[in-house]
Amino acid sequence: MNPLLDVSFAAIAPELVLTGAALVLLLVAITRGRPQLVMLPVGLATIALGAWVAIGGDLVPGVVLALLGVAAPVLPIVLPGRATLVQAWGAGLALGAALVLTLWQVGPVLGADGGSLVASASFAGSLASDGLSLFTRLTVYLSALLVVPLGYAYLQERRINRAEVESLILLAAVGMAVLGGANDLVTAFVALEVLSFALYVLASLARRDRRSQEAGLKYFVTGAVASAVLLYGLALLYVATGTLSIPAIGASITSVLVPRGVAMAGLVLVTVGVAFKVALVPFHFWTPDVYQGSPTNVTAFMAAATKAAAFALLLRLYLVAFPGLQAYWVPVLAVLAAATMLYGAFAALSQHDVKRILAYSSITHAGYATIGVLTLTRAGLSATLLYLLTYAVGTIAAFGVVIAVERRRRGEVTLTNLRGLGRTSPLLAGIMALALLSLAGLPLTAGFIGKLEVFRAGVDAGLTWLVLIGVLSSLVAASFYLRIAGIMFLDDAPEAVAVAVDGDGDGDGDDVEAMEAAEARMPLLSAGLSSAVAVAAALIVVLGLQPQLLIELAGHAGVLLR
Amino acid sequence: MGPITLTIVTPLIGALLLALAPRARERDVRALGLGVSLATFASSLWLLSRFDVANPDLQLAESATWIPSIGARLAFAVDGVSLVLILLTTFLMPLILVASWRSVQDRFVGYTAAFLVLQAAVIGVFATTDLLLFYVLFEFTLVPMYLIIGIWGGAGRRAAAVKFFLYTLAGGLLMLVGILYVHAQTGTFDYLAIRDAVVSGRLVLSAAQQTWLFAAFLVAFAVKVPLFPVHTWLPDAHTEAPTGGSVFLAGVLLKMGTFGLLRYAMPLFPDATIAFAPWLIGISVVGVLYGAIVALMQSDVKRLVAYSSVSHMGFVVLGTFALNDIATTAAVVQMVNHGLSTGALFLLIGFLYERRHTRMIADFGGLAKQVPVMAGLWLVVSMSSLALPGLNGFVGEFPILLGTFATNRAAAILAAFGAVLAALYLLWAYQRIFHGPLETEANRTTPDLTRREIVVMAPLIVLIVAIGLYPGPLFDLVGPSVDRVLAEVAAVAGGVR
Repeated sequence: MNPLLDVSFAAIAPELVLTGAALVLLLVAITRGRPQLVMLPVGLATIALGAWVAIGGDLVPGVVLALLGVAAPVLPIVLPGRATLVQAWGAGLALGAALVLTLWQVGPVLGADGGSLVASASFAGSLASDGLSLFTRLTVYLSALLVVPLGYAYLQERRINRAEVESLILLAAVGMAVLGGANDLVTAFVALEVLSFALYVLASLARRDRRSQEAGLKYFVTGAVASAVLLYGLALLYVATGTLSIPAIGASITSVLVPRGVAMAGLVLVTVGVAFKVALVPFHFWTPDVYQGSPTNVTAFMAAATKAAAFALLLRLYLVAFPGLQAYWVPVLAVLAAATMLYGAFAALSQHDVKRILAYSSITHAGYATIGVLTLTRAGLSATLLYLLTYAVGTIAAFGVVIAVERRRRGEVTLTNLRGLGRTSPLLAGIMALALLSLAGLPLTAGFIGKLEVFRAGVDAGLTWLVLIGVLSSLVAASFYLRIAGIMFLDDAPEAVAVAVDGDGDGDGDDVEAMEAAEARMPLLSAGLSSAVAVAAALIVVLGLQPQLLIELAGHAGVLLR
Repeated sequence: MGPITLTIVTPLIGALLLALAPRARERDVRALGLGVSLATFASSLWLLSRFDVANPDLQLAESATWIPSIGARLAFAVDGVSLVLILLTTFLMPLILVASWRSVQDRFVGYTAAFLVLQAAVIGVFATTDLLLFYVLFEFTLVPMYLIIGIWGGAGRRAAAVKFFLYTLAGGLLMLVGILYVHAQTGTFDYLAIRDAVVSGRLVLSAAQQTWLFAAFLVAFAVKVPLFPVHTWLPDAHTEAPTGGSVFLAGVLLKMGTFGLLRYAMPLFPDATIAFAPWLIGISVVGVLYGAIVALMQSDVKRLVAYSSVSHMGFVVLGTFALNDIATTAAVVQMVNHGLSTGALFLLIGFLYERRHTRMIADFGGLAKQVPVMAGLWLVVSMSSLALPGLNGFVGEFPILLGTFATNRAAAILAAFGAVLAALYLLWAYQRIFHGPLETEANRTTPDLTRREIVVMAPLIVLIVAIGLYPGPLFDLVGPSVDRVLAEVAAVAGGVR
């Protein structure tokens, strides 16, 4: 706590916990069956640290740390010989702790009625602590917390649950959270690379699956190109303005001392780079392949959390650094948003692979979220943040169901595989339908609230034309979401399943065979998957019925450090 | 808890109970569905008893917070128009459920639950005074109705369900943009506040703004009514829906469109209402004649009635935009009448279909000798639908034409041909189905209505006759509210502020 160094541990408490947890989990993996070699000392140290923090006056982080410290050695005891489960629980607990710490950071503001978050900087202005950074954390950690249990049994079954998975998810989450708060160009770029590298590995996790390899490679190549373009743009911005600090760039970018040409070149390159990362048309082309090929839980994580983090970068750059140039970028970004909304929706119409459909849907949703950015208002910022959270919840629930169907089939999930799911597993199909309705933005789901807020901000800011394009795109999107729902509920189950379910009861051989075939097609649930999907579904309903708290939080979060 | 809340919550509780017991025995589900829908009807009668008929205002207001930070409330209140539509909804629901006892075998729990949820949402649509909540419920009705058509419908159910969904969603989303635009201008979703601002001249929308906003609302409601040329989803939806779905669709869901025009589009955008009125009269006359002529050519009796719906709802819109108190009040009365007559026709068609598994008119003939009760009821209901004096259709349709004649002579004369054509297609269908020689074996063995089916039909017939002979109370109930809307439109658009 040396004031000269301006290190604020409180500002990065959740990230510290996660980074620590990631390292511990990696260390545990190399102890080869003797986890207590790491867990015990680390646990004791963490308890001590927690006690010290608590005595220092910060009760919540102290208690959280102490609990984590207790959990560390206990986990291997209650889960003897199940190394991967220890990893998953460890990551889950760490993420839960990070979520609690994030709420602790938000807490003081939430309690005060009507007050907004107070933006502050730490690390000599490198890291912002404002609405954007806190809400992004919330979305990212919530997504990660849902994705870890979602994917556990799936990875296990495909034999790709290697020791680094959970650590990589944690590190990616840290990168995303830091990106949300990155207040200078270097921090932003480093955070972006941290999360990207973790995701490159995660995408190609299935080493024996060629599609996963393809996804990883494609993601890596396009991601590296995008990063390079973005970096070039950031460098030009530095050249033009002479500063790395995003608020300082914003303050000086319109100054006569700044060479307009260089600044514009920087803006163009940054726009391309960021558009790649959030997958705006025409820089979206990597998305379908990567989303389809990656292990499904990784896809869910990318769709939900990476999108939120990349949007955090976009929001901060355009709303803090570039408002002075808005005459140039608003029209461009508006056209990109319109193209994204329409292209994603129409392209999804002709797809048969469910993961691909959801990938195109994620493209469409990036377009909607961009509307909030284009309003250049506080309400628009809040709306985008809210939208990303509601989208994350909906998309995680949808991918969760895909995982359940995929696990038995060990391969891609096409629309035909979902036929009759409403009859064979009504609950699962119901959750899928709920998630799709939410993604389509139908009333009484979380997705509607997100869409309502974005559209409202758009109309209020005079972007009615863009909102109308959003309406058109929602309509097209609704038709393919509806198609999936229709296939699940309105089509009858495939023959074999129908036979097995109806069962003529004469007990002959075909029946048994049919039973087995049907069995193989039945979706498979595990405790982790069901609970994650159930929580996501519950969030969709609760946020749809009573969104007040979240809207309020997003409203408070419409604060940027300038 | 006030009567409106109780009327909305009762079916929801029923649906919740069913959701908690998805494996319940069919007998219990039937009993529960019937009990809950009767309780809802009773609750709506309580609402009626509390209603002050002479008062044209929205009454019995109830409200609760919902999303305070954007100013959306769970606010409800009823006037005469919304009250009769709520009564129509709660009245039809028990009949629909009992009528479906035999025809719906598969997943009856889900069927009942979907209907109860749908009913709650529709009552909410009629009762809410919050624009956002109105949109939410208006759009939400799509989900249960989509399932009802899509799961329990006929062979082409999926395409029909999707068509229904997308058409309505398209209109609804445009209305949402309109609502958000109004919100941007006024800062509130409270219908009463916005209406008062319009009436008192505090909110003045330019002619262009009004035109666009009216158009946005109009698209949503025109699809729902449905007005020509956005009616094309209706014949498919009606034909493929299960009997109960058709009854509810014709009886209640279509009324959301005409109700929306009267409640929202007209008072909020009075100048645009005046400007659009001639066009809408023109379109509805086209709809009246088009629906009738196409109905005449149908070989499937359910499709025939579906097109007759297009024609009859054209009458309702015609009366609404004739903008005089006779025609517009009668238009609301005709909404109820259409719900009863067409609902009853769909029930009879459903009963016939259950017996024969065909709806082709050519497959029938001479049935009157074999099923006299059904034939008699069919005749009464057809007569009601074609507006025979003494039955309910007449007391709605005749004043519509009368009132329209005063303001727009040509439209009234042309629409009158629609009434003539209605007699033609309905009686011709009756004749082909029930008269003539009893030839085929299938026709000779068709059983007549069962006691349960007669019990379902009886309340409808009673109301059809009662409204026809003694329509006064119904007019008294809706008259003041309609007059108020017309006065508001006239006052603002006439420049009297």
